[in-house]
Amino acid sequence: MTNIAEHDKNARHLLMGNEAIARGALEAGVAVAAGYPGTPSSEIIENLASVSGKRDLYVEWSTNEKVAMEVAAAASFAELRTMCVLKQNGVNVASDFFLHLAGSGTRGGMVIIPCEDPGALSSINEGDSRHFSRMLEVPLIEPGDFQEAKDMTKWAFELSEELRCPVMLRSVTRLSHASGNVVFGDLPEVDHKARFQHDGFILDPDTGIMCSAPVDYRHGLQQEKIKKAEEIFETSPFNTYTGPEKPELLVITSSACNLYTREAVLLLGAEDKVGILKLGTTWPLPPKLLEKHLAMTDKIMIVEEVIPFLEENVKILAAELAGTIGPKTFYGKRDGSIPSTNELNPDLVVAPIATVLGMTYEGVPAAYTEKALPLAFFNAPSRDLTFCPGCPHRASFWNIHNVLSLDNRNGFVCGDIGCYSMAMLPTGFSTLRTMHAMGSGTGIASGFGQLGRFGMDQPVMAVSGDSTFFHSVMPALVNAVHHKADITLVVLDNGGTAMTGFQSHPGLEIDAQGGDAKKLDIRKICESMDILVRESDPFDFEKTQQQMFDLMEIKEGVKVLILKQACALSPEKKHTKKFEMKVVEDACRGENCGCNRLCTRIFRCPGLVWDAEKGTSKIDDAICTGCGVCADVCPVGAIDRKEVA
Amino acid sequence: MDKQKLKYDPYNLIITGVGGQGNVMASRVLGNMLSKMGYTVTIGETFGASQRGGSVMSHLRISSSDAFSPQIAKGRAHMIIALEPTEAIRVLAQYGNADVKVLCNTRPIYSVGVISGEQKYPSQEDVEKWVNELSAQSWFINATDEAMAKMKNPIFGNIMLLGALAGTNELPLSREGFEETISESMPADKVGINMTAYDTGIGMLG
Amino acid sequence: MQIAGSKELTEQVLSQDLCTVCGACVGLCPYFKVHIGKLAKIFDCDLEKGRCYAHCPKTDVDFEQLAQALFQQPYNGEPLGIYRRITAAKAGDKTGTGDFQNGGTVTALMTCALESGMVDGAVLMDSDGLLPTPKLVTRAEDVVKCASTKYMAAPAVSCLNEAATDGKTNLGFVGTACQLTGVAQMRLNPLEKADFVDPVNLTVGLFCTWALDTRQLMDFLSTRVDLKTITGMDVPPPPAEVFIVKTGETVVEIPLDEIRALVPKGCGVCPDMTAEWADVSVGAFEGKTDWNTLIIRTEKGEQLVEKAVAGGYLVLDDFPAEGLEHLTLGAGNKKKRARDNVAKEEK
Repeated sequence: MTNIAEHDKNARHLLMGNEAIARGALEAGVAVAAGYPGTPSSEIIENLASVSGKRDLYVEWSTNEKVAMEVAAAASFAELRTMCVLKQNGVNVASDFFLHLAGSGTRGGMVIIPCEDPGALSSINEGDSRHFSRMLEVPLIEPGDFQEAKDMTKWAFELSEELRCPVMLRSVTRLSHASGNVVFGDLPEVDHKARFQHDGFILDPDTGIMCSAPVDYRHGLQQEKIKKAEEIFETSPFNTYTGPEKPELLVITSSACNLYTREAVLLLGAEDKVGILKLGTTWPLPPKLLEKHLAMTDKIMIVEEVIPFLEENVKILAAELAGTIGPKTFYGKRDGSIPSTNELNPDLVVAPIATVLGMTYEGVPAAYTEKALPLAFFNAPSRDLTFCPGCPHRASFWNIHNVLSLDNRNGFVCGDIGCYSMAMLPTGFSTLRTMHAMGSGTGIASGFGQLGRFGMDQPVMAVSGDSTFFHSVMPALVNAVHHKADITLVVLDNGGTAMTGFQSHPGLEIDAQGGDAKKLDIRKICESMDILVRESDPFDFEKTQQQMFDLMEIKEGVKVLILKQACALSPEKKHTKKFEMKVVEDACRGENCGCNRLCTRIFRCPGLVWDAEKGTSKIDDAICTGCGVCADVCPVGAIDRKEVA
Repeated sequence: MDKQKLKYDPYNLIITGVGGQGNVMASRVLGNMLSKMGYTVTIGETFGASQRGGSVMSHLRISSSDAFSPQIAKGRAHMIIALEPTEAIRVLAQYGNADVKVLCNTRPIYSVGVISGEQKYPSQEDVEKWVNELSAQSWFINATDEAMAKMKNPIFGNIMLLGALAGTNELPLSREGFEETISESMPADKVGINMTAYDTGIGMLG
Repeated sequence: MQIAGSKELTEQVLSQDLCTVCGACVGLCPYFKVHIGKLAKIFDCDLEKGRCYAHCPKTDVDFEQLAQALFQQPYNGEPLGIYRRITAAKAGDKTGTGDFQNGGTVTALMTCALESGMVDGAVLMDSDGLLPTPKLVTRAEDVVKCASTKYMAAPAVSCLNEAATDGKTNLGFVGTACQLTGVAQMRLNPLEKADFVDPVNLTVGLFCTWALDTRQLMDFLSTRVDLKTITGMDVPPPPAEVFIVKTGETVVEIPLDEIRALVPKGCGVCPDMTAEWADVSVGAFEGKTDWNTLIIRTEKGEQLVEKAVAGGYLVLDDFPAEGLEHLTLGAGNKKKRARDNVAKEEK
């Protein structure tokens, strides 16, 4: 990681988009940063946490995104510069508070930074938060490259203070996780002083109360702020035009699509035909600027990912301006020029531009593709997602699957978000049968647990990670307990927020900055709700499965089974081996009736390899982490387990 | 600083492998080396769930002047560094062309499908044959095994590949540039072993 | 015999609801298990041929093959199957007393077999509370603990399979028709495994008209009785049409019609009332609840009975002609019912 807290003014560095954003916040003199881990946003908080001592910062991994936004807002009310970092789902979680914050306004500059995931590279949705800016009436700005990621973040705090409202700065995976050259600016001297003024006249923005009521008044103020933002955006240096004065085609774009569009025009050699209006301020749209550019040509293409947010807003303006600029032909998502789902790339932008201009373009040369595609398709084995070797989730779902199969009443598990989401796939024996948002597993199970009265006799289970438990399972659990739902919640406690990079959470004794934090005990919390709680080590198949049977036998109320075993990638476990494992070849039944490769065909730990020549399984010592569990998977005891001295 | 003219501008390089192999670290080191020399560098990555055993790619755009998109357009790669052999084939199918060059680590990483006996993993000979069919020039080195044998840690295989890349002279990389870059991100006592790996890599080109 | 795999077993037997939980497919591999009286498939197995299918009594059974293997003669298709003679029997003094359903003949025979060393172990049906649980008994004095009829379908053969996997041989097996059919097929080594060793030396069959689904019975009884207080069950001989449940304090009578609804569908296609594929078969004796009907089918069966009588374990008596007529009629009716139900299935 580049040291983003170096003074180094005017030095040029190669930075990840998230590092650039963090640097921009430091250059703005940010004091507080709060968030919840979510790919592709997490590195912003991690980078700030690593320099928090040097730069007089408070950085927090909050329990969930709503709380994170509230924590950040408090600092803004106390006249500090503050930011809230989350992924697209997180904006949804925080949205109720966000709605009210837009109404109450802010004091110290507050920037809300959603890092989104078009194409769902690390999500199970490609939600688009840009709508929140229009819906909640807050300004939205989007960096179009890495330098802007830094510069616009710094500017966002100034903008927020000028308008006295939160500012949304939106990034995407292909900026946040990509890297590019950034020239550093100045790092200010910091000496943050917090004070919440609240005893002035209640409507005074600096000294009154922070509240979104009276609603009509506050809403009116919001709309004035948006009007002011419009004016500011008319002359923003982050809205740029490249191209001829009278282009044949005008492309309006923003965010990472700016980079794809520029590349596409270069690849086509169409610099003299295509003008690119790159917008950094995407809500509200500056009408005069748009008018000037829309007047340049009749053909307008809007290049953006996921929802046609920009396209629809441009069209609304164009309709209003039709008298002066005349009718236009629009190309975008609504006419199918740009794909309606998934992320974009240079090739997907080249194609519609070439079509409009009547040009041809060849990506991979046809003769080459003919040879190469079949070679890859038939010979490069596809790589299924899998739990890591030694992952406790593989063992947990082995136990759950066995128990539900033996129980044989078509029981099922409501899933949740984390590494264990992969239990929808063969790596987790396809155990999860519903999957939605954080905490939804328990919420949905709470609903299923009431349907016995309508004849449902299938056992209902839910799973939750330890971090997810605090994030949003708790309210759903309270609901299940209060309404006496007949469900079993299995908490998969692997000691960290693993999927996103092993960040801390309220169940651990350390915080984002590596300091001491108070640890909350999941078992005690459940017991305080009068829930029947049991604990087990998922690596102990017999004990764990017996616990599950015992709990399922209890027909009423909520049961919780906490399966405790550290993540294979956790600091305590990484690079250690508890057991030496070996397959006893003579005892291995292999493909024969009586086994049919249970370990390699079904259990599928990457450390177990099928040796087709010998007709037996074998341990790959380079990959095996020595957890010992496969010895209990083998139905004939052909896997030896020896404790390492 | 006077930058050497690149063979292509932008020079498009892809580092590909399997999640967990150290793709990202390798691309950062290489990117920093070139950025320090004054080139404008953009790197695009595939992160997240792909770490759990999936295919990963880093796209590097190196230019004397402009910043380019973090994704290389199809069929426009100039050099592919494959940390894993079948990933080379996969990437060539999307980004290859008649002029592309390939530097390939020969140690396979088996997918779950292969180790569970459902899929077949091609032979080293076949992979080399196909890579040769699909590229203008290629080099194959067993960086992982060499790193395991000499340094007891497969991660140094990636540094060996960087050294080998320098040895191909496709890009204006220098030993001094590598040393400078690695000294900034590693503690002083780790620099030596990285330099050894780098030098070994150059030597393995044969 | 046509042999297929677990996929076909699932399609042809399990999905058709024809399983009677005999356990012939259980204890051979990790994929089929029984839990509280119901067969569960834990994971899919994609082998084209498996012992699960080959041993299952509800897949295609080659009676000709079984008859030749067990009796060295062609199959006769008679209601009572192939046998040498029928006699009345009951436990003698040497056997002692126990919770015998009728005459205690099975207990007598197995005690003798173990004590004499004719077998080194016997798969019998014990109980874990209410749940019938097959057990490998190795000491003669433990045989009597497994006395009394278990009405719920239970996976006796799974215990034999596990014992065989452990390398045990020279075993005795007591079970009903479906279980014995499974055992008989297993002994043929249908998959022609080079390392196959027949673990069985002696089989004792139990007459059976139907069994009861464990989970359905438990659910049914739980609305009438506290399950924990049940000490025994009984189906008294006709003309009584009741199912009796004994608790510590009371006796609950349930109309047999209500109980018949809990009989597995698979029992309806079973043609075998007197356990034809055994060395000897034992059942109730018409008119005397403290005696058994004993059918002796093989040379080995004869030897066992002789030994038991000589040792004072067993007492014999003549079998009345009228009894034979009624027994033959009953067995014939079961075959007819099975044929009719199979025809219905195939429609």
